Amino acid sequence: MEAKFPGYRLLPYLLIFPSVAVIAVFLVVPFVQAVHQSFYRTSPFGTTTRFVGWDNYAQIFSTPEYVRSLLTTLGFAGLVIVGGLSVSLGIAILVTRRIRGLGFYQVAFIWTYALSPAVAGMIWALLFDPAVGLGTYVIQLISGYRINMMVQGTAALLIAATAAAWNMLGYNICFFIAGLQNVPKEFEEAARVDGAGVWKTFWQVTFPMISPTTAFLLFVNMVYAFFQVFGLIDVMTQGGPGGATEILVYKLYRDAFIRLRGNFASAQSVVLFVLVAAAALFQLRVATRKAVYSR
Amino acid sequence: MKRALMIAVLAALVAVGLAEAKTTVEFWHAMSGSRLKVLEKIVSDFNAAHPDIEVRPVFTGTYEETLTKFIAAYRAGTAPNFVQVYEVGTQTMIDSGAIIPVYQIPGMLGETWDWAQYVRPIVLYYSVGDNLWSFPFNSSTSMLYYNKDHFRQAGLDPNKPPTTWDEMFRVGRELLRAGVVANVLSFGWPDWQFEQQLAVHNYLYADNGNGRAGLANEVTWPDPFSIRVFTTWTELAREGIFLYGGPEYNANSAFTSGQISMLLQSTSSLDGIMRTAQFEVGTTFLPRFPDEPRGNSVVGGGSLWVRKGQSVEELRAVWEFFKYLSQTEVAIYWHKGTGYFPATNAALKQLMDDGWFAQSPNHLTAFLQILSGRQDTAASIGVRLGPFVEIRDYVRAALEKAVAGTLSPEAALAEAAAKANRALREYQELVK
Repeated sequence: MEAKFPGYRLLPYLLIFPSVAVIAVFLVVPFVQAVHQSFYRTSPFGTTTRFVGWDNYAQIFSTPEYVRSLLTTLGFAGLVIVGGLSVSLGIAILVTRRIRGLGFYQVAFIWTYALSPAVAGMIWALLFDPAVGLGTYVIQLISGYRINMMVQGTAALLIAATAAAWNMLGYNICFFIAGLQNVPKEFEEAARVDGAGVWKTFWQVTFPMISPTTAFLLFVNMVYAFFQVFGLIDVMTQGGPGGATEILVYKLYRDAFIRLRGNFASAQSVVLFVLVAAAALFQLRVATRKAVYSR
Repeated sequence: MKRALMIAVLAALVAVGLAEAKTTVEFWHAMSGSRLKVLEKIVSDFNAAHPDIEVRPVFTGTYEETLTKFIAAYRAGTAPNFVQVYEVGTQTMIDSGAIIPVYQIPGMLGETWDWAQYVRPIVLYYSVGDNLWSFPFNSSTSMLYYNKDHFRQAGLDPNKPPTTWDEMFRVGRELLRAGVVANVLSFGWPDWQFEQQLAVHNYLYADNGNGRAGLANEVTWPDPFSIRVFTTWTELAREGIFLYGGPEYNANSAFTSGQISMLLQSTSSLDGIMRTAQFEVGTTFLPRFPDEPRGNSVVGGGSLWVRKGQSVEELRAVWEFFKYLSQTEVAIYWHKGTGYFPATNAALKQLMDDGWFAQSPNHLTAFLQILSGRQDTAASIGVRLGPFVEIRDYVRAALEKAVAGTLSPEAALAEAAAKANRALREYQELVK
């Protein structure tokens, strides 16, 4: 440190102080508070507080709801990440071909990202309104089956996941286009000359070449599917029907702010932190290491 | 010239000084849609009539969100002077230690006030013992809305809506057979409709007299009657008659757009529905089981709670506003604009004398229903539970599971009851 700032021993610390202060005040302090609160139980207005030890944690793991919510989250995240990324990559490949109206298509596919998850949720909630939704009507015309996402849990989860993936399409496509454009054309041409088909060229050459982009998007989409979809769920299903779309972060919100069980929710947030941190570490270790960064 | 300028400046200063002598009180509420406009008109009229007081209304989201925000703000010391809380939050507010019971306010200001002027079922609902704890404002109850045009199309008598659940099956099948609609009936606030059914048939919801005689220990369901209610609704859903339409006011659009023919919903939706519906709207009492005892429909909606720890001037300003709300013309304006009950007996009489109920009989339905029911049992007055918001959430999930067929009516209720009892136990441990 000192070598870079000769004569000013304290200057570097002074310079990073604002960032550290912001992180401490807005991240570290609330986190410590959450851990602390997770060992207590407080009345809604905070008039009485009782120490309950591990009871909040015991409740998390002794009730089937939490496990169910965890499974829901994994299913939801799986659909959003795997489904969303596959479709995005497919579209990105199509819109990087040399076709007429390329610019129009690229913009047309990217704009969904301009909508906030809440707005996207509103659009899809209206589309699949059980009584007046256009989507409900069209599906009934085609299949004769009437979807009611206010009652059918699986339908609600599928529709919410589709909406979430759709909302993220633009962002993913954007990055995939950039990744694909960075793949030198010579590589693909060389593969062609060597007799590789389109399919093989993609899996052996293009896909490994864009792996840094894919690894990055995997991470971003995971954070999105775990946390940022909150607004979308709130607008579309409010965790219902019967808890079918109550993903962890939404369950936490409902427990804290609707059911007024702040301490129980604090315990959940600690568990959620551990889960996501573990997943993130795993991704950084495995996915990033496997990605090909150098050519 | 100079002097004139001086005088103008002085006058301006005095005006500013006067303006600053105003007592400003903040009011958080959850009135959205058509109700918001009516409320804002009342507040601005009040402010215009009281130059020394300014009531500042702030829309803080749904009822749930408003209560949560109030709690958070109270703990942070930034709570408003008074807040609208829905009936579900009543016990939470009573136990909060954060409020002044309204019956004490006139005494604190050296005034007396006649609390008997308010409509009886409302007073009963919000009273602890004989004392009113929150100020009656927007009270409603649930009733059956139906589409008279649909009844005519199906060859049914538009003046004979179903009065029992058996008739609901019969009328529903007729409407389906005639091809008028794909589904017939939906509910607003489904968790509340469950409460209504128990109360209408004089069944308790929780022990300790619905939590009115003391903090409730346990909910009284699943018992044969609550299972009967759930089973009936599940069967209606299986036949395609009942279409579960989600929480709060979500099902209203299906009714007003003619996708369904009947709706159980709060009276507070009356004006919104009549304004949007392109058909003749009929209303009637909630459907019953004729072989079960009679109780009463219960009060819903909200009331106003006054925060503890404000200056005498602020308290006086709040009280002036409350008294204004009780004025006959204001109560009538509120009722006509929203469908909520006018809170005072004087307003009720005035409306009758004006011929309002003859002119708009749909505004009378809920009144007749609640005033003709019994008011002498805890079951018919309404439920009061500490963690009621949470318990309703569980009841709604139970209904969703039963209607979807994921769980049997009995199992769904038992699952919700286990969670509700855990919540009641935890609440007792904290509040006792």
